[in-house]
Amino acid sequence: MAMLEIENLSVNYGGIQAVQSLSLSVQQGEVVTLIGANGAGKSTTLRAISRIVNARQGRIIFNGEDISRLAPHEVVRRGVAHCPEGRRVLTRQSVYDNLLLGAYIRKDTAGIKADIELQFKRFPRLYERRNQLAGTLSGGEQQMLAIARALMSRPRLLLLDEPSLGLAPLIVREIFNIIRELHAEGVTILLVEQNASLALQHADRGYVLEAGTLTISGKASDLLNDERIRRAYLG
Amino acid sequence: MRLSNQSLQQYRRLWWFASRGLAAAALVLLITAILTAPSGLQNLFNGLAVGSVYAIFALGYTLIFSILRIINFTHGAIFTLGAYFTYFLTGASVGFNGLLANQRLPFGLPFPIAMIGGGLLAGLCGILIERVAFRPLRNKGADPLLTLVSSLGVAVAIVNVIQLLVGAEIYSYPRNPFGEMPAALNLGTFGGLSQRPVVIRTIQVIIFAVSMATVVLLTYFVNGTKIGKALRAVAEDATTSSLLGINTNFLISLTFFISGLIGGIAGTLVGLSVNVSGPYFGINFGLKGLAVIVLGGLGDIPGAVVGGLVIGVAEAFVPSEHVAYKEAIAFAVLFLVLLLRPQGLLGRAAVQKV
Repeated sequence: MAMLEIENLSVNYGGIQAVQSLSLSVQQGEVVTLIGANGAGKSTTLRAISRIVNARQGRIIFNGEDISRLAPHEVVRRGVAHCPEGRRVLTRQSVYDNLLLGAYIRKDTAGIKADIELQFKRFPRLYERRNQLAGTLSGGEQQMLAIARALMSRPRLLLLDEPSLGLAPLIVREIFNIIRELHAEGVTILLVEQNASLALQHADRGYVLEAGTLTISGKASDLLNDERIRRAYLG
Repeated sequence: MRLSNQSLQQYRRLWWFASRGLAAAALVLLITAILTAPSGLQNLFNGLAVGSVYAIFALGYTLIFSILRIINFTHGAIFTLGAYFTYFLTGASVGFNGLLANQRLPFGLPFPIAMIGGGLLAGLCGILIERVAFRPLRNKGADPLLTLVSSLGVAVAIVNVIQLLVGAEIYSYPRNPFGEMPAALNLGTFGGLSQRPVVIRTIQVIIFAVSMATVVLLTYFVNGTKIGKALRAVAEDATTSSLLGINTNFLISLTFFISGLIGGIAGTLVGLSVNVSGPYFGINFGLKGLAVIVLGGLGDIPGAVVGGLVIGVAEAFVPSEHVAYKEAIAFAVLFLVLLLRPQGLLGRAAVQKV
């Protein structure tokens, strides 16, 4: 059974139908990417999973449980962490406190401390800036903080929304190296990206979303060589 | 007209000196007034006492403003409710008017316990008010201005329900509620600094101490605890907070409870100081409280206390023959400070993102 199973999901967002009868699945340990043009409904799909937007219809099954009626904070407790588009770090709190709040649902003080050390090892730049307000970080550093913060809840599924958005190419490479590392560690990831080529290079499988509807899906390596995708997204 | 960079800098430096100069002049004036007026020190202590009432009232506004960015106009009504709850929990009976005339509870609690009980009940009212007047609007994404109006409406409703149930007369608490204590302390002349002996009432000392303790506890709670950090996260970005597993509605309820608890206890203490003057008892502090938080810096916890003390002391130095100008002085101070520091005394300048 798949870890995440979305059946027939439709979402209205701002008066338009952003997602129409979308079905997809993510297996344990997989990195699955959702690619498509701006406004195709990729971010809306992630927001529907973490319940910060309401689905009009459809079911979202996570580990056998329908989570499509839960409150957002309850979804986090089931093991889904959402690293949102635009990073959304808490600018008025320190890097350290951002990480601490990432572990808000956990009670094991010693484990939280150890995990913060782990993230500092993964992102040495966050360690250097641990006492700075998150608002003073560069865009790339904020993205690293957002990913580290999402990992602090020890999620079973990580939703990554546009981690490369607005970042310099060198930083983008660094972020994707982290995604590869997480994949190797066995973290399950649903990745939304505009940079289709990079996303497909790092994913096991991919789905293509066009105007709210899934059009193509398959193994990432097949999609990379698919003529339609090459023309539309890889240029 | 475009100012050149250099002249802009000169202008800024001039402004910096002017504002610091004015602040220093005000301080010198105040110290002179304290030391030369026949009852200068007495005025200062009276001002601090009144100011700490303003401060503890304004803390309730501040806490909710810092999270939701709205002014909770029901806070005055909650302040009143706390005072009445304490009164009835001591087992005292309702007056001769209202639907509950001459009724009393079948039990009477010792005053300190009744005061805490009154605060807890006021806190529960805060939770209820949030459910009725704030949450439905928030869920619909309403403009904060609409929430302001809805909180005003609830405040008026509470005042009228109080009047309907227990009438509009003055209620006073028993004497010596905290056991045998002198009603006032004579501090002497402070080694000749004051020309007349300085006397402060015990209850004023208690209110001042409670205000200070509250601000210390609240500051620690908001900055030093996990829940406090989560509260600040909700204040900055509620949606992202919920993605971290924070139950935003629960934390907002908690904020209203704490604000109501502080308001209820403050209402009781002020009622001890000046009697519970009727259903409008707390509402009368509403406008002054607003001036206090704007002066101190909106949403800033220590700022609420500094603002309250500054306005209290400024009012206390209005000579008694000009007492009608007291309110004018409070708002003149506010006006002057805002000219120099639009963000308030302790508030941070809003950073414009470009």
